[in-house]
Amino acid sequence: MLARAHTFTIEGLQTRHVTVEVDIRRGLPAFTIVGLADAAVREARERVHTAIVNSGYEFPGRRITANLAPGDVPKAGPGLDLALACAVLAASEQLPPDRLDTHALFGELALGGEVRPCNGALAVAQAARERGLKALVTARGCCAEAGLVDGIEVAVAERLSSAVRVLQGGAPDASSAPLPRTRACAGEVSQPDLADVRGQHHAVRALVIAAAGGHNSLLSGPPGTGKTMLAQRVPSMLPTLSGREAIEVTRIRSILGSAPRELALRRPFRAPHHSITTAGLVGGGQRGWVGEVVLAHNGVLFLDELSEFARRTLEALRQPLEEGQIAIARARHAAVYPARFMLVAATNPCPCGYAGEGDRCGCSEAELTRHRRRLSGPLIDRIDLFVPVERETNNELNAVPLTSSKTARERVVQARERQAARLAAERVSLNAHMDASMLGRHVHLDTKGEAMMRCAREQGLLSARAQHRLLRVARTIADLNGSRRVRARDLGAALALRPEANLTASRTA
Amino acid sequence: MSTLAAIGETPRACRDCLRRSWLIGRLTAGLDYKCTDVPRLLDLLALDDHQLLHALAGTRGTTLKVEYAGFDPRQVPRRGGVESICCHDRCYPLASEDPGAPRMLNVSGGLDKLGELAERPAVAIVGTRKASDYGVEMARSLARGLAASGVTVASGLTDGVAVASHSGALEAGAPSLAVLGAGLDAACPPRRRSLFDRLRGNGCLLSELPCGCEGRRWGALAGERIVARLCEVMVVVEADESPRELAGASIARSLGRTVAALPGRVTSPGSRGTNALLMGGARLVRGAQDVLELLSAGSRSASISEHEVLGRLDPRLAEILESVGAGSDTPGKLIGSADDAGEVLLALSELELLGLLTRGDGGRYLPRGSLSWPVRSAEDPAAHGGPPAAKL
Repeated sequence: MLARAHTFTIEGLQTRHVTVEVDIRRGLPAFTIVGLADAAVREARERVHTAIVNSGYEFPGRRITANLAPGDVPKAGPGLDLALACAVLAASEQLPPDRLDTHALFGELALGGEVRPCNGALAVAQAARERGLKALVTARGCCAEAGLVDGIEVAVAERLSSAVRVLQGGAPDASSAPLPRTRACAGEVSQPDLADVRGQHHAVRALVIAAAGGHNSLLSGPPGTGKTMLAQRVPSMLPTLSGREAIEVTRIRSILGSAPRELALRRPFRAPHHSITTAGLVGGGQRGWVGEVVLAHNGVLFLDELSEFARRTLEALRQPLEEGQIAIARARHAAVYPARFMLVAATNPCPCGYAGEGDRCGCSEAELTRHRRRLSGPLIDRIDLFVPVERETNNELNAVPLTSSKTARERVVQARERQAARLAAERVSLNAHMDASMLGRHVHLDTKGEAMMRCAREQGLLSARAQHRLLRVARTIADLNGSRRVRARDLGAALALRPEANLTASRTA
Repeated sequence: MSTLAAIGETPRACRDCLRRSWLIGRLTAGLDYKCTDVPRLLDLLALDDHQLLHALAGTRGTTLKVEYAGFDPRQVPRRGGVESICCHDRCYPLASEDPGAPRMLNVSGGLDKLGELAERPAVAIVGTRKASDYGVEMARSLARGLAASGVTVASGLTDGVAVASHSGALEAGAPSLAVLGAGLDAACPPRRRSLFDRLRGNGCLLSELPCGCEGRRWGALAGERIVARLCEVMVVVEADESPRELAGASIARSLGRTVAALPGRVTSPGSRGTNALLMGGARLVRGAQDVLELLSAGSRSASISEHEVLGRLDPRLAEILESVGAGSDTPGKLIGSADDAGEVLLALSELELLGLLTRGDGGRYLPRGSLSWPVRSAEDPAAHGGPPAAKL
């Protein structure tokens, strides 16, 4: 007899629907699985066999053929166990097959018949809903995150026998409490606070601007001045994830199994070491593994010691910075992953780190040129804000911090609300993502601002792309100040914070 | 002039002088080995051909003497655009009776232009290769101001101060004289290549070494002695106390040229040399105007004085400009309270657009030498972008 069950497999960040077809007929006892199954799926035979027997059912001693359709999609992971077991039971008439058409099954089986949680339950629940299935039967450990998806019933099955009961129309096991959906119930999460930063008022102001508009920024300053400390506090200034963003972030984390199974509330902060490879940063490699840019989606990617990164690795950041997504194409796999992050980079101004500190820098012109050339031009071109971090004198170290993260976040949230209201008709919601045509519609300078722009253009201080960057930053500063028009002082501040035009070139030639 | 056309053409320099240049080119490795200090190098370069052969040829002496005796000017490698001129020519820019001066020069950029530049008063701007952003900016603004006033700027083509002074002169749209320590076709580091090309088009490149001769340590020092002979006033912008960095100044002083220096911070190693020169009686200069006063031929009305520029500025901007000059040179130091952050940043940007400030390393602002505001005549400022206050 033939039986079918629905389940899902995960490929990169995408879920693929899999129909498990099991046929049992007369012949020598055998259990064969076909359909591009990986090692974990092939081993499912033993788990399924033992789990069925240990749950008190009979494992048919005949010829069993299981097909995982579609046949051209590679199937990975142990999540298919539950579907296989139920299909075997249905094919051997120990289970009525009617509910198998409306229920998706996702979980790994233990030898004793318990159902274990697997990575990616949230993604599977979303896919099951899109497929039009009524319910998802899964392990208790998965039910909280699967429960975040509206429009699909999640039935907890702690054991194979519970799953059979659900499929016979019985009640599922008691589920654990669903994940909190709002920040209010989660309470404040503790993270580094801006109030720890003494002095550095200029840098803090610049970072508030960067956070408000989602601008990519470059921190530059001598060693030991607090560049890393400042960068680590950027996420604390950002608003907590919105519902849709939180689901996106949780989905990525859930698939990678990298975080506890709960709803992500904090924005991701990824700080890869500078020895990272290109595949590590943008993804690729085995089965289209995702990289740091995807893990930083909706959050902050912090690259410390920017000039120490391999040049090719940094070049690979250009597409995600520009488009907010990364297209990976490898021999067996091609995928587009979301990668909309805010880049915060930090670097020393020269190899020894003390350029601009009067007498301490001993770098030659050639060394400076080499250092600047490592910060590739196209990457610097995508950085909106240049944040100088200077060495604080002693009395300023004792000075009061400029602001706390809470206050800064309130300003950022207000500025972001203004941006979202203005950009309601556009497909973006942050100033940093406005393109040239949106700039024309939404950025209006006053007379003095126009004159300053013209003057800067005439002096060759700004390239076309640099002008756009400048207008975006000026718009954000105006939003922070709560003004509808971009005034000259907003533009002036943006101009003072623009990345140095000669950052990549020699100082003199 | 194409490369092919140049070959076979008789050079303008005479055979003896060409042979001298060829000989130095052949002995360049020996010079590098023997020149332990600056006076020794100058002594060696003042020797006549036979003494030079004796002193430096070493084991190659016999071969070189045979080659020397049978020297043919046509065997000297020649490149397109490179002309040569010797001390027997009326247009030769250096005094011919001076034994320490090179007997001939290879010129790229045209002999007419060299003659034209050599006729004007010339100022050499020299200094360290490891210049700070202060040194770079001062050299640049000094050269810009001088070039705008019709003075020829001469320097080497090494990193730091020398390169900055050429780019300053080119910013004012004036040609400058660059003395190389290698053949004129020698490889140039990529960071200087664009400047090198612009100088070849718009200025003059000089070298006493024949084409095909690569750069050696002594070459840049020997170049300083040519720079010192080309100028009336030598300004040292930034230098430490090593004899190598002060070589130009000591040569210029021994030739009776006026030596001037820019003061720097007492604690800065890059200014120890210039401060020592000032202690030793060098003239103190603060900008192009002071140098013009040192030059008897300088036209005093050429630049607007600092006072005039500041007088025309908005008092708000003038205050910020003064604070930057006084050492509060980062936004962090300038911004006192949260309320005026926007105002200060606006003022800094306006001053930068006016060309009165520029950005140095690490987000610092540097005054751009307002003494040398590049305006040729005070009566017609509109020709060069208008008076600063009227721009915004």
